[in-house]
Amino acid sequence: MDFGSVLNALILGVSIASIWLIAALGLTIIYGAAGVINMAHGALIMLGAYSSYMLQHYIGVPYLLCIPASFVIVAIIGLVLERGLIQYLYDRPLDTLLATYGVSLVLVQGVRLIFGSDPKYLAVPEIFSSNISLGFANISTFRVVVIAVTALLVLALWILFYKTRFGIQVRAVMQNKEMAASFGINSSRIYMMTFALGAGLAGVAGSLFGVLNIVLPTMGDSYVVQAFLMVVAGGGTLAGTVIASGFTGELQSVFAFITNDTFARFVIFLLIVVFLRFRPQGLFAKGGVRR
Amino acid sequence: MLLSFDKVSSYYGATQILRNVSFDLEQGQCLCVLGRNGVGKTTIMRTIMGLTDRTTGSITMGDEAIANKPPYQRAGYGIGYVPQGRGILADFTVRENILLGTFARKDSAPEIPELCLRIFPYLRENLDRRAGLLSGGQKQQLAIARALAVGPQVLLLDEPTEGIQPNIVHEIGEILRMLNKELGISLILTEQHIKVARKLGDAFLMVDNGRVVARGPIDEMTDELVERHMTI
Repeated sequence: MDFGSVLNALILGVSIASIWLIAALGLTIIYGAAGVINMAHGALIMLGAYSSYMLQHYIGVPYLLCIPASFVIVAIIGLVLERGLIQYLYDRPLDTLLATYGVSLVLVQGVRLIFGSDPKYLAVPEIFSSNISLGFANISTFRVVVIAVTALLVLALWILFYKTRFGIQVRAVMQNKEMAASFGINSSRIYMMTFALGAGLAGVAGSLFGVLNIVLPTMGDSYVVQAFLMVVAGGGTLAGTVIASGFTGELQSVFAFITNDTFARFVIFLLIVVFLRFRPQGLFAKGGVRR
Repeated sequence: MLLSFDKVSSYYGATQILRNVSFDLEQGQCLCVLGRNGVGKTTIMRTIMGLTDRTTGSITMGDEAIANKPPYQRAGYGIGYVPQGRGILADFTVRENILLGTFARKDSAPEIPELCLRIFPYLRENLDRRAGLLSGGQKQQLAIARALAVGPQVLLLDEPTEGIQPNIVHEIGEILRMLNKELGISLILTEQHIKVARKLGDAFLMVDNGRVVARGPIDEMTDELVERHMTI
């Protein structure tokens, strides 16, 4: 076990962490702001991948433009979903859970009807399919892109939530919906916008995952479980999800380095279960009354 | 007339709390809502803000009927709300709590009005402190500052002196008097302390079991009325 391969494992850990994190960002925002457990998150990730695929395959949009375009497309789908269904279910968590699960089934089957069950592929510019060497460490360029996009999104979200008037409104609604309303904040509109934002983030994740993996109607299923674990372990806050993903990614990479990837995942899931046994509220629990 | 209730009833679920409540608040007036615990004083405030489940009857603010407006639109008519228990957002800084008030402003200026900080120097010096760390009296100051940030024509103050040290009670009383008499902001005030009510109030509204049992200028609030509806 030499220094170079340990360093390599740690750098790979950052990359794995960024994947855990970007999968969980949209879910964190929707759960954190509106308290909605969005079971359709995986399907929204999948739609992001198919949006990029369509834009690239039928219109020939360059891949880097497909990422923001997928954000917009899936955000609009999220907006329609929220206005058409979720907005009527905010005070009924179990119903939201079932309804969003139903939506995800419809979306997955719908995509399967249109595109079939055979895998699609997203093409990336030549430069992204090479590797970067940093001394001992070696990492594919595209994984660096994923890390960069994730870091940018986290920064943008932090600014949005902590430095803007919109952020004050969202955090006010999170803490006390009634007081927020008493001071002119339309919580229904805030929920709608955060849901669209969370969906859009799933779209970005999808357009990246479509390159890391193949594009399939069921591709969201595995990510949604990961994403939920990060949201729960993090306590439903942005900082919590960032830290939970960071730890999980590094641990997974280190365990995979020592043993193998399957065993690493097994250990990770086990550790999360043990962690939640002793800290069921997650890393950073929110205070305040939602409703 | 600034704010009027005409035969307003208010409900939580199927439970009726207010029964045919009518009153008028004139521009610049200080109206004290009096009564025992649990008779509906807080519900009057919450009904003005639209926070009960259902209301019937008519509520007008200025010339506008507001009974059917959603809560988030009501503050925009110039109503600053200081709820019972103060409703301070604990995770917010002092600054963010005051800024919350500015969302209801017509000009939606994203600045803290100078007035809020001039009256409460403590808040000016602690703008970046987490509001959850403030004492009860400081939170009450913050709640009043936040309501003032709305740029209100009327302030609704629900038990503003509840659970506050006696010396601060006096200070808050003075500030409310100043807002009312010098700046001409109308006040609706629920109070347990008859003394505070007599000192600040121009008019009173005696509530018992969800109904208005007496109302009029404050000097018509006789000891006999207080005896009958406020002592236990």
